[in-house]
Amino acid sequence: MNLADFFASVLTTSFVFVIIRVAVPLVCASLSAYTAGISGMNNIAVEGIMLMAALMAVLGSYWTQSAWLGLLIAILTGIVMALMIALFSMRLGANPILVGIALNTFATSFSIFLLYLFTKNKGSSASLASKILPTVDIPIIKDIPFIGDIISGHYVITYLVVLAMIVIYLLIYKTPLGLRIKAAGLDQEAARSVGVNVNRVRIISLIISGLIGALGGAYITMGYMSVFVKNIISGRGWIGIAVAGMAGSSFPILIITTMLFSIFQAVTNIFLLYNLPSELINTIPYVAVLVGIIIFSITETRKRKKGELD
Amino acid sequence: MSDTILKLDNITKIYGNGVVANKNVSIDLKKGEIHSIVGENGAGKSTLMKIIFGIENASSGTITYKGKEVHFSNSMEAIHAGIGMVHQHFMLIPSFTVVQSIILGMEPIKHGIFIDMKKALSQTKELAKKYNFDIDVTKKIADLSVGEKQKVEILKTLYRDAEVIILDEPTSVLTPQETVNLFNELRKFKDMGHTIVFISHKLNEVKQISDRITIMRNGESRGTYNNADITIEKMTDLIIDRDLITDYSHLRKDYENVSTVLKVDNLSIERKTRFILKDVSFALKRGEILGVAGVQGNGQAELVRCITGLMEQTHGKILLADNDISKDSIKQRRVKGIAYIPEDRMGDGIAEQASVSDNIISTYYDRKDINSRFFMLNKKIVAEADRLIKKFSIKTQSSKTKIGSLSGGNIQKVVVAREYNTAPSCMIAEQPTHGIDIGSAEFIHTQLIDMRNKGAGILLVSADLSEVMNLSDRIVVFYEGEIVGYFKSVKGVTENELGLYMLGVKRQTPEELGGALND
Repeated sequence: MNLADFFASVLTTSFVFVIIRVAVPLVCASLSAYTAGISGMNNIAVEGIMLMAALMAVLGSYWTQSAWLGLLIAILTGIVMALMIALFSMRLGANPILVGIALNTFATSFSIFLLYLFTKNKGSSASLASKILPTVDIPIIKDIPFIGDIISGHYVITYLVVLAMIVIYLLIYKTPLGLRIKAAGLDQEAARSVGVNVNRVRIISLIISGLIGALGGAYITMGYMSVFVKNIISGRGWIGIAVAGMAGSSFPILIITTMLFSIFQAVTNIFLLYNLPSELINTIPYVAVLVGIIIFSITETRKRKKGELD
Repeated sequence: MSDTILKLDNITKIYGNGVVANKNVSIDLKKGEIHSIVGENGAGKSTLMKIIFGIENASSGTITYKGKEVHFSNSMEAIHAGIGMVHQHFMLIPSFTVVQSIILGMEPIKHGIFIDMKKALSQTKELAKKYNFDIDVTKKIADLSVGEKQKVEILKTLYRDAEVIILDEPTSVLTPQETVNLFNELRKFKDMGHTIVFISHKLNEVKQISDRITIMRNGESRGTYNNADITIEKMTDLIIDRDLITDYSHLRKDYENVSTVLKVDNLSIERKTRFILKDVSFALKRGEILGVAGVQGNGQAELVRCITGLMEQTHGKILLADNDISKDSIKQRRVKGIAYIPEDRMGDGIAEQASVSDNIISTYYDRKDINSRFFMLNKKIVAEADRLIKKFSIKTQSSKTKIGSLSGGNIQKVVVAREYNTAPSCMIAEQPTHGIDIGSAEFIHTQLIDMRNKGAGILLVSADLSEVMNLSDRIVVFYEGEIVGYFKSVKGVTENELGLYMLGVKRQTPEELGGALND
């Protein structure tokens, strides 16, 4: 490989297109972790939710022979899983982190169990005639050179995710509910003292979290790929949790960081075309997350120490 | 009376564990008055306010608000009725702006779903202007001073149309200038028809601001007085509880010309806006108990934290037997001879889930006789624990019993036994008998005197005046982070006199105070 080749493949419209393609599930994961986290109810089951949703999208669309109904089933699965965090932690007093861990391990095994049940195959759903969601060519825009190549022609979930991004931004920053969600996450006593129903607010956040996580899972088996294979989410949910942790309550930082990791992911995909050890190349996005978190933690700790002296 | 807005009639509150927090308290609040409620910590002021505000339910008695009997089952109902409360610990979120903090829970709406930020801004600005609050509503809470944060809390109640505003110890966090400002504001609210309930234990402030004053003691009301009809001395009399004085003097061994074990030299903790401790100097000698008197929250806790190493002072030195220990770790300080009975027994004193024997060795678990290089020597630990359990007559089933299941008095005996067992040269006893039964309290007192007789210096920090009077050889009095009174001997000192220093009414000259260090 030479450098010129590399830049030639990076500086193309198709590369930007690829970034968007790999970004969609990551954005979903980040948004899922973010909406739950800012309400003070950490959802670390994002990976598990995405995994179950990915499977249910395949099974659902196979059963109903409709991609849309499959998507709906996937979304319901995600919401039910997220609500389990609410049920176990609020009603039964369990630690939400432990519930999250349980859901993740459950999803890992249960998805394979279901897969085997319906396909008699523990590795892949290739034998099922599942549906995928259509791609959308945006009229007029698709004919604009360069921009049309980048923006048009994605799977329909991609546009849904962009819409979800905008809606979540408006919700958190512009509505009373958003203000209350943030208050519940930052200081639940203070929120309660002015009459905010903290539990209700957190349940709503978890529903959104489950929904958007499921969207990301469904995208992977109904667009990005067209089959379910075991462990198909391969850590995207965890990257989302890490990104949300870095962003704190800041939506812009959340999106910027997610896009940054998406670029790393896309670059990785290109590197894989060259004759380099793929095991090493595949670590790039994860190493980037690790480095990002370390830098972030250091600056945060410094800030906090400075604040304490006042 | 027609101008009565809120009337409490025979309010009694008994908690599930049998503690009587309020007993037959009757108070009437008039419209447009500043009504102070004074009393020591634990006198029942806070519980009473929680009952008014719907956080607690009264066990018996009635509350009449604007002529109608009310039962607030949560604070939202009280807020809707027009009662506002400014908590001692602010209910504010640092990363929110002032506007966001004020409107949270009652946001103005536009287009059906969005917060009308413009309206919110203009409403809060107007509100601030109406009450003459000089505050930038777009600032973040984190960037405000304590006084400004309090203003935001008051604005929160006004935004919710509060007619009765309860302020719980509002001046405890303020600088003197901020206090003056607050008082001016409160007078303005009064003129505008609001009723202010001012909870405090600072009598001179109460005297300054109140129309009427209700005095609480041991959960009961000692009467409501017009400000003009009562002197500070009379209030002190009514507030301070006179327990039976237990005389320990026959146990005391006399010492003369003994060396100093702990010297605190010009110790200060300076924060951005104020001093938490200011130029505190005193010497603690071998074989004496130095009592630190004062209303809680006047810097005693911080003094203790500095000496034990839990907190770092900004100025000054702490010397243990002439060695500066200011930079030492907690462990090093303990090894050098400091022992500590912490005020927060359950939090700092013990590990609730661990056994009595584990707790009784927890500050010297690495001692050679109970710890080989790799293993804890459990047989020896149990033997040591059993010995201490016997010596301190701790009532427990065995040394392996979980300490959390013991009574408060017995838990405290475990803590005292542990600290005693390190044979300290300097013992810091912080509220050592707070909230425990009389029997255990007396036992702990005799143990402290025993340690003193064996040559330890004991710093006794207590809000319980009779405890300080009974045990101490010398006394210093804290007020707002400073030593304001020093008594070379307990003889001839009355609780009344101490009370006047504790409440900031009286203050000695620097020469007199110098005795704490030099006597």
